[in-house]
Amino acid sequence: MELIKNTNFNFMGKRKIFYCFSLLIIILGISFMIIKGEKNFGVDFVGGDLINIEFSQKIDVASLRRIIAQENIGSFTVQELGVEGKNYIIRLPQKTSDLILERLKNNFGENFTVKRKSIISPSMSISLRKKAIKAFLIGLICILIYLTIRFEFKFAVGAVVALFHDILVVLSILVISGKQIDGMVIAALLTIIGYSVNDTVVVFDRIRENARKTRTTDYIALFNKSINETLSRTILTGLTTIFVVLCLFFLGGETLHTFSFCLLIGIIFGTYSSIFIASAIIIDWLKRSNVRLKI
Amino acid sequence: MRTQFYIKFGVIVAVIGICFYLFYPPEKKVKKGLDLQGGIHVVLEVEKENLEEKSLSDLTERALEIIRNRVDALGVTEPVIQKEGTDRIIVDLPGVKEPEKAIDIIGKTALLEFKLVIDDENLYKQALQGNIQEGYELVYLKEKDERGIYRETQPLLLKSQPELTGKYIVDAYVGYDRTGFPDVNLVLDKEGAKIFEEVTGKNIGKRLAIVLDGVIKSAPQIREKIPEGKAVITGKFTIEEARELAIVLRSGALPTKLNIIYQEVIGPSLGKESVQKGFKSSLYGAIIVLIFMIFYYLYFGLLADFALALNILILLGIMAGMKGVLTLPGIAGIALTCGIAVDANILIFERIREELKAGKSPKASVDAGYHRAWAAIIDSNITTLITGLVLFIFGEGAIKGFGLTLSIGIIANLFTAVFATKVIVDWIIINKKIEKLRI
Repeated sequence: MELIKNTNFNFMGKRKIFYCFSLLIIILGISFMIIKGEKNFGVDFVGGDLINIEFSQKIDVASLRRIIAQENIGSFTVQELGVEGKNYIIRLPQKTSDLILERLKNNFGENFTVKRKSIISPSMSISLRKKAIKAFLIGLICILIYLTIRFEFKFAVGAVVALFHDILVVLSILVISGKQIDGMVIAALLTIIGYSVNDTVVVFDRIRENARKTRTTDYIALFNKSINETLSRTILTGLTTIFVVLCLFFLGGETLHTFSFCLLIGIIFGTYSSIFIASAIIIDWLKRSNVRLKI
Repeated sequence: MRTQFYIKFGVIVAVIGICFYLFYPPEKKVKKGLDLQGGIHVVLEVEKENLEEKSLSDLTERALEIIRNRVDALGVTEPVIQKEGTDRIIVDLPGVKEPEKAIDIIGKTALLEFKLVIDDENLYKQALQGNIQEGYELVYLKEKDERGIYRETQPLLLKSQPELTGKYIVDAYVGYDRTGFPDVNLVLDKEGAKIFEEVTGKNIGKRLAIVLDGVIKSAPQIREKIPEGKAVITGKFTIEEARELAIVLRSGALPTKLNIIYQEVIGPSLGKESVQKGFKSSLYGAIIVLIFMIFYYLYFGLLADFALALNILILLGIMAGMKGVLTLPGIAGIALTCGIAVDANILIFERIREELKAGKSPKASVDAGYHRAWAAIIDSNITTLITGLVLFIFGEGAIKGFGLTLSIGIIANLFTAVFATKVIVDWIIINKKIEKLRI
């Protein structure tokens, strides 16, 4: 069976449309982030308490909110998990979870269990944030160095810009859809980086091979040819990975929900960015600077 | 040619055997992370104020030792207690029954002070109205109520300057008085004994509060001058209470405070749910990929499936062999490896198709396919490996586990997709003299 046969799309000719598309999503996402401020982040990154409780029978969310509100602890959120009305994630200000749990016990007796409880102090959240940023930077620098050695600097920059693009797009869509950025999201983002750079490198590899073979300077034709030649593989690998991620998304339970949601978007945009960002940027760079490829 | 093939085939069989041995039976050999079996994760930080950098690290070591003792007393199997940086301690207690109590006990390691209780009526009344004189402090005495919950009772007015700190304590243990009630024996070192003799001598009849972490644990009355640094604290203790007070005194030999800056409690139900759902979703994902590959590449699909199965076996084998911890994101990592693992084979197969279209013979197409796809496979896998390793090195807890499975999966992928499948393809093509490849 063959899904994609001898395609000949002019990807590079239409790159500016896709630049605009990506920019639009990112600008929208950043505006959402600015409006929502700290609420974008999970307790891991801003500090605070988080409890996940499950009741033995369906309860009224409004009454749950009312009980918590009575304590005057400041802002809190109650999020329902699933559709049965039993499972809730409650986000509270720092060190108020024990108080709230005691109140809930007074009101609901032993009819609920605490599935998870996290208390994160500001100093811990700062170091978690620093660690996440450090992991990103080190990861990106290592990739930059490796690709510079294996290809050339322009390719490495193209790939890394594409990775920034992927991170921003995923974060944007995440924030727009009202989800929070937490530790699991960071893991998902790093995985996406891994996937996206993998995909980008396969396209680059074909460009390198064709460039050596033909010695052409018609870069748009060279890039289009290489992208079309690898298109079949690009889509197949994307599909197999998406199959798995969809299974995680629908069957993996609440803990993996946001994680697999990120991966889903990330795989789609990671594939997209290999063509419309990473390769396109190199084309524009080559056009501007009027130099030849050195691979 | 033949012997070379047999050697290669032997390598594959050996790898299968070793990995199976390392990994089987999985319930015993694969260590589950906190998120899968439930438990608590606590990060403590040594309070840095008024401390030099040099003594900080040493202090953390001592705190580590004390916490280790306490965790041992809790009787948790396979606890993880480790120092992070110079001032942090990470404690992982899987499968703890009473998380609240455990956290309480761990977090208790703190500043122990002996402070004089002020019995001046006037000062006390003023303090109650919020007018506390310089050099004094109002502290609550916590006592257990009939339901066993600590409640704050009448506050006491204390002299802020401690008479003695926990660092002079040599030992504290539970004993019994003449009437058979439990009491607590306290042994001080030489220097402490001298101070204690002076303090008790000057303040007979007054109460001396034992303050742990700013909370009064007990405030016994000084009955007489106590020489030689051997004191007995009596009261209507239950054995449990006496033991707790003794522990408090013993661990007080740390002249600083420990703050819990992160705590996470995962209930056993969530852990079980995570295992089930993580396993189920991964299994379904893998099955879909397996079917898809056969559907798309026919016999070569079977080959890719064999590589995938081998990949997962190696991954689990190395995980178990390294005593790596399997976490929920780790399970997701294995699932994801399935998706990505077939990539190398897809690259190769697509390449073989291209070569066949160019009119090459089956053998030449296969060789060219493997050869030409190699650069793309190695470059793409190494870049992914970089992110996997970064996650493993800089990530924490569950994320670290994810980085580990991802990294091992990629290394295994290079072996299975490139080496193992090639051996089999070569064997088939040579032996069956295949004229036409269906791929």
